[in-house]
Order: sequence, then structure tokens, then C-alpha cells
Amino acid sequence: MNLDETTAGHLQELRRGTVVLACLVRLRTPDYGYALLESLNTLGILVDANTLYPLLRRLEKQGLLTSEWNTDEARPRKFYRTSPTGELLADALMTDWRRIDDALAGLTTGDES
Amino acid sequence: MTTLTDRYVWAAARTLPESQRAEFDRELRERIGDAIDALVETGSSPDEAERAALTELGDPAALAAQYIDRPLQLIGPRYYLMWWRLLKLLYSIVLPIGAAGVLLGQLLSGADIGEAIGSTVTTAISIAVNLGFWTTLVFAVLERTTAGAGQPGIAAVWTLDMLPALPEPAKTSRLGELIGSLVFLGIFAAAIVWQQFGVVFHDGVREPTPLLDPALWSFWLPYFLALIALEILFAIAVYAWGWNWWLAGANLVLNIAFTVPALWLFLTGQLISDEALEAMQWPWGTSGPVIVAIVVVVVIAASTWDVIEGGMKAYRAGRAVPAAMTGPATSGAKA
Repeated sequence: MNLDETTAGHLQELRRGTVVLACLVRLRTPDYGYALLESLNTLGILVDANTLYPLLRRLEKQGLLTSEWNTDEARPRKFYRTSPTGELLADALMTDWRRIDDALAGLTTGDES
Repeated sequence: MTTLTDRYVWAAARTLPESQRAEFDRELRERIGDAIDALVETGSSPDEAERAALTELGDPAALAAQYIDRPLQLIGPRYYLMWWRLLKLLYSIVLPIGAAGVLLGQLLSGADIGEAIGSTVTTAISIAVNLGFWTTLVFAVLERTTAGAGQPGIAAVWTLDMLPALPEPAKTSRLGELIGSLVFLGIFAAAIVWQQFGVVFHDGVREPTPLLDPALWSFWLPYFLALIALEILFAIAVYAWGWNWWLAGANLVLNIAFTVPALWLFLTGQLISDEALEAMQWPWGTSGPVIVAIVVVVVIAASTWDVIEGGMKAYRAGRAVPAAMTGPATSGAKA
């Protein structure tokens, strides 16, 4: 019972940073909240609406995303796009992600040998 | 017509600063609208979908707090330790001083002892509540004051100098003994003075009859009061240095200095005042000598035990250097 909770907690922690990275990469083409949520979940990057919406706001506040209201349709929607600063951060995060992946891979093969 | 969505958005937005409301209102409506549409697509009726979408969002105040990163705790980890340390400091300094000040003032102004204790307790409670409230309020405000970018706020930087010194374990356990002794000796000294104004009850009425012979004030009662003062110094010495053979010897001397004159006065009938004896209708038939014998045996046994215990503690302290003193406070139990 507790093990499941522990697992869920650790998984959440592991994924937290990757959601930021996924948003920054995915929003190189502008999109709005709900569409982003759907596409990330379809891709297998599991994220909850309660996490994503406040996250978009925070990233915008930090200057990593820019936003623009699209009022062409009946419902006005806020479209987010990765800013140049966001691009730089995405590159840095991606490099680190790959480094960790390699390191973990080295660790695993080290175990097997 | 007001919809549930309108009510939800209003409930969430009203907790935000005015300047952020319009944007937040729009964003939230977009989010709710998209969520409802998605649910309708899966076959819900619009009403059901709205209810489900809003229920999913949860408490509007919590949602709004999440949007603007508002803390949902009174005092967060940044200030918690500072708050806690300050509170402990204030409670250990201001509270005792305040209470003692009130008690002293009351006694000096001639208030009755019960009244003085009563108002001291009331004031102490009020001081405690005020200290807690105002300290917490200041920190709760600090928690909500955003520090400039890159600034750590006013949080004090922890340094190695703030490490507490290791407590001397024996000294900590001796503190209880010291407090016990001081309280006992204080009450004992107060009782000697107090009995002068009458503790003898006759038919349920307190009579202004001294229990001890007033003639003793010429020498013996001041002598006993001085001994009590010495006992207090002795208790402090035990606390400061721990038991050793010198202190055990001093304990023996103090016990003899107290017990021998007290028993002598008691047995020669000089201790208890004649009026008190009369009020108590002494002697109580044939049981008089038995009671006198019991009193003498108890007093001698108590002092002897106190001396032996002092010796045992000195012996133990001499054997094990970091000895833990866990005996109950018995010094001064020879009354």
C-alpha cells in the first residue's frame, strides 16, 4: 500500500523536470493549453491539467514562453510559444537529459557485466 | 443568467490582486471551456460536463493560489526555523520575567497570596498568547512579502558558530533536582514566616495563633532561615559541580546543624507555642509519647537517608565521570 504511494511520488519527482523540457520543445510551434495537454499525453509524456496550466503561466512569467491571445474563434485562447531564452534553456536541459541517460546506461551495463 | 462557471471563476479570481484578475479570468474560462468540450465529446450532457469539469478543478481558492504561486501555508520552510527559535527564546525569557514581575508587584502592594498567584497566572497566559500571536503574525507577513530577485529575504544565514555546545548530560538531569530543592526550600522558608500569622484551625476557623513559639524569633527561627539560605547555596553548588565528597560532607554538616537543634527544641517543649498546643488540645490522651517518638524517628531517618544518599551520589560520581544523576530531589527532606 505504501509502496505504491512511494513509487508514485518518486515517478512524479522524476517526471517533473521533463514536463518543462517537453513544453519548451513542443511549443516551438505555438499552441494553447488544452491542445498541448492532449498532444503531450498522446506522446506518452503524462501530465495533469492541474500541473500544466500553472506551469505554462510560470514559464511565461520567467520569460521562457511568450503568449498571444487568439480571438479568431468563439472561445479566445492563449497561444504560447517558446521564447529565445526558452530555446537556450531547452538546449541546456536536453544536453543534461542525454548526459544523465548515458550515465544511467553506463551504470546499468556496469551492473550486468 | 449566471452559470456555475461564472460563479467558479469569480470565486477564484476574487482572491487575486486586481491587476491580475482580467487575464486570469480569461485563462480560466479557456481552460474550463476546453475541459467541458472534451467531456461533451465523450458523450456527457453539457450540464454534467460543466459540473464534472469544475469538480475536477477543485477548491477555487487553492487553484488561484497555485496560479500565482501564493503560499498555502502560514509560515513556510524559509522562515519556519527562525520563527520557532525566536518563539522559544521569547517564551524562555520574557514569560518568566513578566510573570515574576507581576508576582513581585502584587506581593509588594500587599495583595493576598491567592489573589497574587491568580493574577500572575492570568497575566502569564495573556503574555504567552500575545507573544505567540504577534511573532507569528510578523512571520506570516514576511512569508507573503516577496523578496527582490536573487535575494534570500531576511532569512539569517546559518553559520557554524550557531552550533549548540553539547549539553553535559549529568547537568541536565541535575537541573530537575535543583528546581525541586529550590521550590521545597522556598516553601519551607515561607512556611516558617507564615506560621507566625496563624495556621492553627479551631472549629474550622483560622486563629491568629502562631504554631511555633514566638520566643524562638530571638535566635532559633532566624538561625533556621539562615540554614535554609545555606541549603539553597548548597543545592546550587550541587547543580554546578555535581556531587563530590566535599559536598557530601557539607550535606552531613547541614543535616546535623538542622536536625539536632530542631529535635532538641521539640523534645524540650520549646518549639511549639503554648497557644497552639492548647488549640490542638495537646496532649492527646495517652497517645502523646507515641506521637513524639514517631516524629523523632521520622526526622532522624529522613536526615540519615539524606546523608547516605549524598554519600552514594558522591561515590557514584567519583567512579563514573559522566555519571547520570537520576535520583529524586531529596535534599532538605528532613523537615
